[in-house]
Amino acid sequence: MAMQVCWVNDLDKARETARKTNKPILLDFFNPN
Amino acid sequence: MGAVTYPAQEVAKFVDLNFIPVQIETTAQNQALMSQYGVTWTPSIFVLDADGKVHYSTVGFIPPEEFVPTFLVGKARWYFDAGQLTEARATLEEVLDRCSHSHVAPEAIFFLGVAKYKQTHDPKPLRAAYDELMANYPQSEWTKRADPYRLIEK
Repeated sequence: MAMQVCWVNDLDKARETARKTNKPILLDFFNPN
Repeated sequence: MGAVTYPAQEVAKFVDLNFIPVQIETTAQNQALMSQYGVTWTPSIFVLDADGKVHYSTVGFIPPEEFVPTFLVGKARWYFDAGQLTEARATLEEVLDRCSHSHVAPEAIFFLGVAKYKQTHDPKPLRAAYDELMANYPQSEWTKRADPYRLIEK
């Protein structure tokens, strides 16, 4: 099965996860149109 | 990016393993966040720490074959800024081992030299970085940035 990036859209939650996991955040701003 | 780069399996695995991935639409409701990070064009991609501080950024499309080396350098810069120089060096060496033809190879050579210098206080790695950049990437902006290191004794 193909793997997909599991994006989240809440930067504050991502920061909490980054702190707990000691991983950096990849923040992608994209145009939905 | 969503149509070509992110679906590529190597990219998806790399992102999952190395980052907490966040996607924000450039819509009116996200204007405050766009202003905070100075976003005026898409795609704009940032490597942040847990405080939200930027350690690396890119603007514009990145093809799948360049995504991994580009954001390995981004991760290395995150380590570097945190003073985790052993991890930064290992990540930069991974760029050069796996992706020596990438457009970010000169940046990796530059920061590898700087990380070695910061760890050892021996300036010779800076000179070695300059020599390698001059020999292999004479037109790179990173060769120009390393220019003062040519004055260091071999």
